[in-house]
Amino acid sequence: MALIEARTPAELSPPPQQTKQLGIFARPVETTGWKSWLFTVDHKKVGILYGVASMFFFVVGGSEALLIRTQLARPGGKLLSAALYNQVFTMHGITLVFLVVMPMMAALANFLLPLQIGARDVAFPRLNAFSFWCYLFGGLFLNSAWFLGGGADGGWFNYAPNSSVTFSPGHGIDFYALGLLIAGIASTVSAVNLIITVINMRAPGMTWMRLPVFTWMTLVTQFLLVFSLPVITVALFLLMFDRLFGSNFFNASLGGDPLLWQHLFWIFGHPEVYIMILPAFGITSELIPTFSRKPIFGYPFMVASGIAIGFMGFGVWAHHMFASGMGPVAVTAFSVSTMFIAVPTGVKILNWLATVYGGRLRMTTSMCFALGLVSMFTIGGLSGVTHALAPADTQQTDTYYIVAHFHYVLFGGSIFGVLGGYYFWWPKFFGHMLDEKIGKWHFWLTLIGMNLTFGPMHMLGLQGMSRRIFSYSDGQGFDLWNLVATIGAFTIAVSLLVFFYNCWVSYRRHKANPQDPGPDPWDARSLEWSVPSPVPEHNFDEIPQIEEFDDFWHRKYGHDENGRPVKIADAADVAQKGDATGVHLPSPSYWPIVLAAGLPFIAYGLIFNLVWAAIGALLVIVSIWGWVIEPSTAPHAEHPGEQQHEPEPEGDGGETATTAGELEEATVD
Amino acid sequence: MTDVVTAEEAEDTAQLGGVAEPHTPGPEDSHGIHSGHHTNTGISNEKLAMWLFLGSECLLFGGLISTYLLYKNRPGALIFKDASEGARAGSPVRISELFDIPFTSVSSFVLLASSLTMVFAVTAAARNEQSRLRLWLGATAGLGAVFIGGQVYEFTTFVREGLGYTSNVSSSAFYTLTGFHGVHVTLGILMLLSCLALTYRARRPPAEAIEIVGLYWHFVDVIWIVIFTVIYLIP
Amino acid sequence: MASTTPDRSHTRGYVIAGVLTALMVVGTLLLLRNITDVAGHPLNTLRPLGDQARKIDDLVVPVFAVAGIVFVLVEGGVIFLIARFRRRSDDADGEGDPVQIHGNSSLEWAWTAVPALILAVIAAFNVAAIWDLEGDAQNAEMNVEVVGQQWWWEFRYDTNEDGKPDVITANQLVIPADTTVGVNIRSNDVIHSFWIPTLNGKRDAVPGRVHKIALHADKPGIYEGQCTEYCGLSHGYMRMQVKALTKADYEKWLDNQLDGPVEPKADTPAAEGKAIFNTKCASCHQIDGYDTSGAPTASGEPDPEYGGADHPLVSGNAPNLTHLMSRDHFAGGMFPLYDSYDEGAARTSAMPSGDPSQGELGDWLRDPPGKKPMASDRARGMPNLNLSEDEIDKLVAYLTTLK
Repeated sequence: MALIEARTPAELSPPPQQTKQLGIFARPVETTGWKSWLFTVDHKKVGILYGVASMFFFVVGGSEALLIRTQLARPGGKLLSAALYNQVFTMHGITLVFLVVMPMMAALANFLLPLQIGARDVAFPRLNAFSFWCYLFGGLFLNSAWFLGGGADGGWFNYAPNSSVTFSPGHGIDFYALGLLIAGIASTVSAVNLIITVINMRAPGMTWMRLPVFTWMTLVTQFLLVFSLPVITVALFLLMFDRLFGSNFFNASLGGDPLLWQHLFWIFGHPEVYIMILPAFGITSELIPTFSRKPIFGYPFMVASGIAIGFMGFGVWAHHMFASGMGPVAVTAFSVSTMFIAVPTGVKILNWLATVYGGRLRMTTSMCFALGLVSMFTIGGLSGVTHALAPADTQQTDTYYIVAHFHYVLFGGSIFGVLGGYYFWWPKFFGHMLDEKIGKWHFWLTLIGMNLTFGPMHMLGLQGMSRRIFSYSDGQGFDLWNLVATIGAFTIAVSLLVFFYNCWVSYRRHKANPQDPGPDPWDARSLEWSVPSPVPEHNFDEIPQIEEFDDFWHRKYGHDENGRPVKIADAADVAQKGDATGVHLPSPSYWPIVLAAGLPFIAYGLIFNLVWAAIGALLVIVSIWGWVIEPSTAPHAEHPGEQQHEPEPEGDGGETATTAGELEEATVD
Repeated sequence: MTDVVTAEEAEDTAQLGGVAEPHTPGPEDSHGIHSGHHTNTGISNEKLAMWLFLGSECLLFGGLISTYLLYKNRPGALIFKDASEGARAGSPVRISELFDIPFTSVSSFVLLASSLTMVFAVTAAARNEQSRLRLWLGATAGLGAVFIGGQVYEFTTFVREGLGYTSNVSSSAFYTLTGFHGVHVTLGILMLLSCLALTYRARRPPAEAIEIVGLYWHFVDVIWIVIFTVIYLIP
Repeated sequence: MASTTPDRSHTRGYVIAGVLTALMVVGTLLLLRNITDVAGHPLNTLRPLGDQARKIDDLVVPVFAVAGIVFVLVEGGVIFLIARFRRRSDDADGEGDPVQIHGNSSLEWAWTAVPALILAVIAAFNVAAIWDLEGDAQNAEMNVEVVGQQWWWEFRYDTNEDGKPDVITANQLVIPADTTVGVNIRSNDVIHSFWIPTLNGKRDAVPGRVHKIALHADKPGIYEGQCTEYCGLSHGYMRMQVKALTKADYEKWLDNQLDGPVEPKADTPAAEGKAIFNTKCASCHQIDGYDTSGAPTASGEPDPEYGGADHPLVSGNAPNLTHLMSRDHFAGGMFPLYDSYDEGAARTSAMPSGDPSQGELGDWLRDPPGKKPMASDRARGMPNLNLSEDEIDKLVAYLTTLK
């Protein structure tokens, strides 16, 4: 869609006034205020929206975690009933996986990918906005179940047949299935969008082996999404048909097979694990070189191991089912394949350490989180190896040992990565830095809190405490470590409050006494640091020509005969000014949010009353119609900067960096 | 997934809407967000997105086909013919005994033929032959509609003979798989008709969009060949 | 070595790093001690008391050791790297910037290959263990059917091998010690998981399937277990035990089980309790000799697998109570049946005797869903029957006679 202006030869264009026939609504034009956020198609605003929404759901899911931990603090906890506890742990898992960690990664991917590859936006800006609203409305839909009869109570994995109407007669599981379908649409669309962006919209000279590692890891993640989401889509449809239409796909007494659900779920579910961790690996691979003042050690290995993890991630799903009774042949195959996925992961850890080795470490909050990730993820990875052994896994699976394992991976990995990334890229998002002193408090509280919470769970699991039990008894020996874990959970909650406080204080300080962090406050390496902070709406005044990996660094530094960097230019001199005018940008649109809003209505309709579905379908049809006849860029919409500029086609054209011909020459493929 | 299709479709057609755009390519185009239509690969974003989406669709149908294969010979895959006339009337038969293979072969052939007409349509669009394009687009959509009509006829016959959606797991799997495919064909027909409508709006056919719809259409046909083989030909 | 200023200030960093690493190692070892501390952890996975659990333990403990070494190396490495290479506040900008090393392929191939080799060795032991455990299950000396349902376990013994169970119990699986017992695990509703950590790993009970594992208890004793696949509302309160008896005791136990129920003496509260049982309880609970054929399942249809005239001994929707007091606990292994045991008739004897826990049974009969969460509105678990105190007393009197 965004290609229209260029593709349409002039002689074919209908008369200009035709584009004004866009229906009864005038197109949104706001660039500030709440409307500019609702109707934005700017990848940076969409990214920030993802970040804010995921933080909101982090608070929701985190509160659920506190309820769980309070219930389990002592034996025979009475805070929650068994029914409520089951809903709370189910919604905690769903929220954190689908509504927090994935969109946190989406936030950074949306914001950074175009900047890192030297593009002005993603390939399909309106679809990008649609993905976000779809995710947000899907998440609100899922959580609205709390007020409409109770949340899903089958666990995030939702094994059949416990998810059937017989065993879960409420609407919680319907909300689960439909909510995840909506979230799945969001992720699929977003993944296609980001993949096309990286494949097709790299700046001239930005060859595959010059892409930043974060871009690479995010790209692998998007491929995992594109190929794993359809599988859970099938599973969710079968579940819906079982519940709504009375089919028996998972009903063993009428010929169905409950293990089919498990296979379909984990064919998605295991790549999902890498979907959540690979972008964090990417973030760490940006932070560690910057703050060690060394290039990433073994770039080709880092990229290749990421791709290898992506491929192998599709071949290990049944290790979640070692106790399910698949038979020894399948168990052997998946057990061995699982063990070897540790190899590329180990390569990453060692390459990070090799990057640090000999460097000159600036222990900023970002770097603390990055090295925290290396340390904490290692623990999660090692416990992972112990349950790759299928016989050992039959002792460990579904115990708190597994809970400890994946929280070390997801909290110590994904969340640490994202928090480090937030401290790092905050000036790019908002034009000011986060306070480093409070940041250190935040880091240490998070590190101590997570180890207090999840460390004891190793002990609990090995001592035999099962997952998903709403209570335990005196005399089972679980008292001490549960209490410690609960204290840890509240420490994490405090650390999150410290982070919010930091955001607020830093913002206030910036308001009172604005200080421009400059384009490159960290002396960093990749392309996003070559534009002002915050990033101007059009990203790049001119699309840069890329000469090598870490191009921006090499514009600032040469090196002496020993290979040590020698400053050749100030960042401010080689960075762009962000003052270009007349840049053609995609215009805001109503339709992404309207189209996304239609989907929950359809879902409510399927659960409660088809009238709602009719309203939703109407919204969807109207918005598709509006979308189709609306060009992606309003005619003569120029760079909507602070001032209105008259477009100056001739003058601007001269300044542009590339002609199409150059661009074609410069690309490798 | 069907919703995704809708979104994709919207995206495809969104750029058709762009035909109406009065923008003249000029020097500032390389200044715009996409720096002209020259992408790194030389393939347009839309077409590449469709390829990727179809890759994702392969996994969707892969899941459905696996489900069918798992369930087609389950115990209890028998149905009672003419069950509508009294409980469990008639003699038990296997689902496969209900298949009318000659009939389905003909409708499969119709769908295959529509791939051919789609090729003609894409060629006509590339050559800017408006009237031929309209003819072939119409023919493709028409053949698709015949196929869907055949599927509706087949389903109603089966239901009359006692094979309901919930008769047993193999019938559920059968209807789910073929039904998903039918929905895909129907969406394809809608896309074709949208293209047809657009040929009346612009002086030049939206060749790129038609090519992308063509990709989708061929994919749906190829998937049908797999489904036809799996369901009807493999005993 | 990149830094051009190796000076005194590293010493402090090294000391701190060394202390931290040492603390980490000591802490880990202390925690290991705590993990393997057996007293007070009846479900401990690292305390094998049977052959299968020992095989698993032998496999995993060396891997824990390897993992521990890697853990100390990496974490210690991170701490030392920070101590050695951190930029101190008095360093000038740009001073001592590091050599820009881009990688070293032979090194990287090495640390790809070495872990792969270590893992290949572990994988060999792993595969051997998988098939070893599978072989144990296939070569069992006797077999028991284990059926999971919401939220308790039933055990069926077919002693005369006529394909029909002769003894049906619940919650406490009794096996002979020092014998390899094959356990055929099935489910009657959703997925459960049968897990006695001190004897073997877990295996899911999946509806429509039979999964077999082996149990081999070294010695007589009671081995605790917990359903460990999430199975709905009361998953947390679905527990079970294995009671291993000496072979002689096992035979004694079996003889008692094969006998009919104890008949209460006429005109005692227990006899009145039996009458109440027949009117209020017998539609779900069975005591051998009563035929409640075609007990309904959750869907309301009679379950051909379960109950019915062909299987007069099989319980309906609830545990078979014929020899209730030969067990240790009731209601999914949750509540004790005895307050204390007689001298010499300890829990691990063939027939426990002692002071029956009247209070627990009475509390239970007063309000079962209040004592353990159950979905009795969906025929999953025991409803509150609104019994009078008199009825409760008489029922308890009857039930406690069922040795």
